[in-house]
Amino acid sequence: MFLRNYWYVAASVDEVKAKPFGRIILGEPVVFFRAADGMAVALEDRCPHRRLPLSMGKLVGDDVLQCHYHGLRFDRTGACVRVPGQDMIPPAARVKAYPVIERYKWLWIWMGDPALADPSQICDFHWIDDPNWGAKGDYLHVLANWQLVVDNLLDLTHLAFVHETTIGNAALVEHAAVKVQRGPEHVLVTRWIIDQPAPPTFVKVGKFTGNVDRWQIIDYRPPAFLRLDVGATPTGTGAPEGKRVGGISMRNLNAITPETETTSHYFWAQAHDFDVKNAELTDRIFQQIKLAFLEDVDVFTAQQRLIDLNPAAPTIDINADSGGIQARRIVDRLYAEEQAALTAQRTAAE
Amino acid sequence: MPLNFRVELIWQDDNANEAASIYLTSDGRVMLQGRAVSAQERKDLHLPADADMISVDRKLIRAIKDML
Repeated sequence: MFLRNYWYVAASVDEVKAKPFGRIILGEPVVFFRAADGMAVALEDRCPHRRLPLSMGKLVGDDVLQCHYHGLRFDRTGACVRVPGQDMIPPAARVKAYPVIERYKWLWIWMGDPALADPSQICDFHWIDDPNWGAKGDYLHVLANWQLVVDNLLDLTHLAFVHETTIGNAALVEHAAVKVQRGPEHVLVTRWIIDQPAPPTFVKVGKFTGNVDRWQIIDYRPPAFLRLDVGATPTGTGAPEGKRVGGISMRNLNAITPETETTSHYFWAQAHDFDVKNAELTDRIFQQIKLAFLEDVDVFTAQQRLIDLNPAAPTIDINADSGGIQARRIVDRLYAEEQAALTAQRTAAE
Repeated sequence: MPLNFRVELIWQDDNANEAASIYLTSDGRVMLQGRAVSAQERKDLHLPADADMISVDRKLIRAIKDML
């Protein structure tokens, strides 16, 4: 199940160069390259002649992509502009062109109706390139359905078990009050852990010597954008009342793009608002979080393996799943609405 | 007394109006927020006299349908 009329992160901007590269997005093959004028281009990665991925080809001139097999050429709009050995270009010789935009060091792609592509709808991830924050990001290829990643990020009780050596500890499960606010197109999960020991990563980065008041505020936007406001201050210094002093505050930023129904592209970054020019610190925080994320990837992969084995195996829900359940309900509703609109369009066209 | 894990659910409509909270407690109960129904109201409306009763906002009913 994919929502199509949304912006997705397709690549980091550094990946997009003159040399074409292919990536499956929402089950569609897409080829990316950077034209001579610096603009990123995304086209269907399938030559309409014999279906070779155009990403195996090369750029000819400023912005023309040549197929590696028989040399058909396509411009940045997807139109075929040359068929070697003949003057006539078949009318159907074209590939789909996708709207793309570079923002927050990521390349965003619109996979739905191009007429609906509104850049103002791109989810805000300004922390990634905001000079008031130190930030570093990465990409993970995940062998699991995208919604397993969303579930994971909306239920942080798993930190106590999957990440006990880094960002988790038992206090997360036994001493938390969780608030789940659900609007028409967002879920906000807020949890405070008051007067409890700091987890290992927080002790390393924040130099805490005593108990802390810790917050995790998870902002979910469909299809799969999760922005986590996390941090801690020495206990009793007023963080729950909005006074964040003497501690650390970070943003964990996540954009998950479905590749197929059972694989995902996971773009993420970690930002911090203290000692922001300290690149060594930025990298140290990034490495700690990456360690934890790789532990998560192992979990997703194992989950997907068992889901594939028996998709109908029953599951249960617990209180901690509340945020993830609300997110899935929003996605289910949006998917039903999108499908209904498509059906109406098809009916009107017939 | 130590705090056990507890979840508060809040539903918002299209205009960001919130329903009263739904609480899921660690001992498996669901707690709703409402106004106690007075003895006079019970009498006037022919409601049971011997049970704890609350009246709730309709937004809360929508929240229950959507979220639970």
